[in-house]
Amino acid sequence: YEDLHAFELQAPTRLIEWARGNRVCVAGYGQSGGNEILQLLPPPTLQVKETQGLCPERDFKVECGGFSNRPVYSLKYVPDTSLLVTSGPPDSSLQVWQVSAEDSDVIKPVGAIATVNGTGQPWAKIATVSARAPWVLHGSRLNSVQITEVESRKNVYMAASSNSEELSGLAFLDGNTLLLCCAKGQLCLADVRQLQSPLEAVSVPSAPCGEQWCMGVGRGPQGSDSSSQPVACLSSGGHLTLTDLRKTSESLASAKCRVPSPSSGAEFLCVSWAPALEGCLAISGFDGTVHVYDTQSWDSSGREAEPIFVHRGHSFGGSDSSGGPPLVTVHTWHPQKPRTLLSAASDGSLHVWDWVQSCGKC
Amino acid sequence: LVFLLLGPGAGQDVGRSCILVSIAGKNVMLDCGMHMGYNDDRRFPDFSYITQNGRLTDFLDCVIISHFHLDHCGALPYFSEMVGYDGPIYMTHPTKAICPILLEDYRKITVDKKGETNFFTSQMIKDCMKKVVAVHLHQTVQVDEELEIKAYYAGHVLGAAMFQIKVGCESVVYTGDYNMTPDRHLGAAWIDKCRPDLLISESTYATTIRDSKRCRERDFLKKVHETVERGGKVLIPVFALGRAQELCILLETFWERMNLKAPIYFSTGLTEKANHYYKLFITWTNQKIRKTFVQRNMFEFKHIKAFDRAFADNPGPMVVFATPGMLHAGQSLQIFRKWAGNEKNMVIMPGYCVQGTVGHKILSGQRKLEMEGRQILEVKMQVEYMSFSAHADAKGIMQLIRQAEPRNVLLVHGEAKKMEFLKQKIEQEFHVSCYMPANGETTTIFTNPSIPVDISLGLLKRETAIGLLPDVKKPKLMHGTLIMKDNSFRLVSPEQALKELGLAEHQLRFTCRVHIQDPRKEHETVLRVYNHLKGVLKDYSVQHLPDGSITVESILIQATAHSEDQGTKVLLVSWTYQDEELGSYLTSLLKKGLPQSTS
Repeated sequence: YEDLHAFELQAPTRLIEWARGNRVCVAGYGQSGGNEILQLLPPPTLQVKETQGLCPERDFKVECGGFSNRPVYSLKYVPDTSLLVTSGPPDSSLQVWQVSAEDSDVIKPVGAIATVNGTGQPWAKIATVSARAPWVLHGSRLNSVQITEVESRKNVYMAASSNSEELSGLAFLDGNTLLLCCAKGQLCLADVRQLQSPLEAVSVPSAPCGEQWCMGVGRGPQGSDSSSQPVACLSSGGHLTLTDLRKTSESLASAKCRVPSPSSGAEFLCVSWAPALEGCLAISGFDGTVHVYDTQSWDSSGREAEPIFVHRGHSFGGSDSSGGPPLVTVHTWHPQKPRTLLSAASDGSLHVWDWVQSCGKC
Repeated sequence: LVFLLLGPGAGQDVGRSCILVSIAGKNVMLDCGMHMGYNDDRRFPDFSYITQNGRLTDFLDCVIISHFHLDHCGALPYFSEMVGYDGPIYMTHPTKAICPILLEDYRKITVDKKGETNFFTSQMIKDCMKKVVAVHLHQTVQVDEELEIKAYYAGHVLGAAMFQIKVGCESVVYTGDYNMTPDRHLGAAWIDKCRPDLLISESTYATTIRDSKRCRERDFLKKVHETVERGGKVLIPVFALGRAQELCILLETFWERMNLKAPIYFSTGLTEKANHYYKLFITWTNQKIRKTFVQRNMFEFKHIKAFDRAFADNPGPMVVFATPGMLHAGQSLQIFRKWAGNEKNMVIMPGYCVQGTVGHKILSGQRKLEMEGRQILEVKMQVEYMSFSAHADAKGIMQLIRQAEPRNVLLVHGEAKKMEFLKQKIEQEFHVSCYMPANGETTTIFTNPSIPVDISLGLLKRETAIGLLPDVKKPKLMHGTLIMKDNSFRLVSPEQALKELGLAEHQLRFTCRVHIQDPRKEHETVLRVYNHLKGVLKDYSVQHLPDGSITVESILIQATAHSEDQGTKVLLVSWTYQDEELGSYLTSLLKKGLPQSTS
């Protein structure tokens, strides 16, 4: 490690979201209420700018917080507003919150976005994009994908699909294109300007059935067309496929990761591209580790790939609330620092780590 | 009623602590700290808040000092000897032993080196300490007949304590600085379920999520190692007592493990005494240290030697611990000036630096410092900050509240604007009120004191004999007389009260008239009434007396004919005050009329 920081949150989180000013947001997912949404100011070592204020420290500061009765499974800031939205069981509705860090440090609930026939549905996946603020893309199944304008709660787009496949993720590729990932692995594209046309299905990855899939979308530099970046899909069996959305007939590359089968299914599967390291991505959700891979040397053979780094820190924690070894629930890359990642686990730990660059690699 | 006047000092002003609590008529001062960043009178709390009402000794019942850090005890000699206070000052034994050393040290630097005049003298420190009464942990100390205090272990530094202040059944717990996680040489704070009316807790780190100790230590050792490997010198300014010991233990273990040869020095004098006191007060350290102390003295170091001023000029790598901790004066500043110009060297600040000190300036990024005589010092050495100070974070505060179960919580030492979330968190989780007053602000907290009342045995026995069996879950209504005399409250039977007070007993009797339509003779009506009541009131004693009246328990019913209307009979129902309930019931029952068929 170049750098390693280990923090302990009062309650475990399954999301780490970046906000303005390199702030980080985490939230509890306990079933019995009393969950906290915390917006944290990272220690100066994680800020890119010169240190402001008194003395440089190593600690996160809780800048503001809110209380949620529901477990918070997903959270997204709505760009250009002081709002954020969250989702979680027991239905597919979204909760809207206001962050006003200047006069008070409380994140206040200001309303909800209900969904038609939402009760009993799985929790909604959420996505936002700064080009289309204050739109929020959300849905739990292919046929319930919609875009709502957060301030007016007006529905501006509804996916034309009768397919009730459950979603594992969705994203804006740009201001007009949506990418949807089904739990069974199917990827679909949609154009928000074409309200009536059905979703365009993209090739299904060739891997054994019965596996759950999630996706990671690359984020190019601000304003660039994300559809030029390959999409990474990760399965609960450890298969990773990269797909170029412009040429979807065959996958760009694929590999197998040496990971155990996850004890909690696909609940915490997470794959993400490094914003500042060409071709690198990270995966987690199988156990207490986070793997980092360099995909530049991959081909389409699907053989086993060697990670360039494995973060094992969470495995050395105590046991989580269910008594088992800690499971990494989520990870994310630092937007500017190339090799810095943040990862959280089911025992409440939050790690910030940076590995030593070995010669000749990325 | 507990008034809290937040003295000049604590409450959003990290720098000095001084809180005034007024509880049930007693006035207690909690801590008496000095602000290290100011060089004028602003460093002392402004006691005019309280002296405007007369002499401090008359006003205050006692002063309590939580631990030896100067921001908690630094103004004590000024307060007792220059402003004037002759009452008792309470602190733990280690605090009493160590305080005068730190005060004298600071006095020397301020007066001798800086040439200040309005400052307390050595004699004043001695005179002040004569007023100190040392206390043991968990020892209940009677300050006077009504006021008592008790100290609890607070962790944080050697001898630090949290204090419970109790007057009758009202109590306040003041935490001072505390720490809920044990470290290398001190245990964690602990308090019993004392349920105080108010818990005053420090909240400096309430909004912080702290990096793990392991990672901080790893980073610290990495930095020291790298500097020493390249031949540089590492300066670690410390307060003699506190983190210094912990860092020594850490370095010693690391040097041993890595087989390093560079010398480590600890400046003498103050620090020798420090180690001496740690040994003296070994029971105040944590379990692990005490155990190892038996086998090997943890405070005697193999790799750490006493420092001599001349060593600072020696070539080659070395690590030096020197006082004071904020580089504001003394030996650490001298060494800093010698080493600052070489970029191979490093200075690691192990604690918070108050504004105005050299430590604070270099941590803020200043690299050109103006020294006395207008000399400019260029700082090329690496400046690092390694915070090891042990304060409770949000999780720790919640833990303490859970342990003590206070009815109200008051937070000091934090930044009010940013505490709304913590306030809500505490209020939601514990259903208590949480206050965050500003400097100079008064907070009033209302308490519900319980008033003990003695109940006479006779009354208790009598009341439990009547009616249903006592149920532990249901409150039972009792009738008695409360006598308040000479500060005592007694609940006795009315007869006893009358006897004691020499009063005559009066009987209250109610008589109610119920009209019944019945053309028959009086004695027939009576018979009808008797049979009716007998049938309805099966659990009661209903009797038909020879003189024509009916009794239900002790209630008397008589029938007479109406004077003007023979068809109407008038029933007189008569009862005493004690039978009010039954009497009212009978009346309403009879008003409903008699059933048609009778025997």
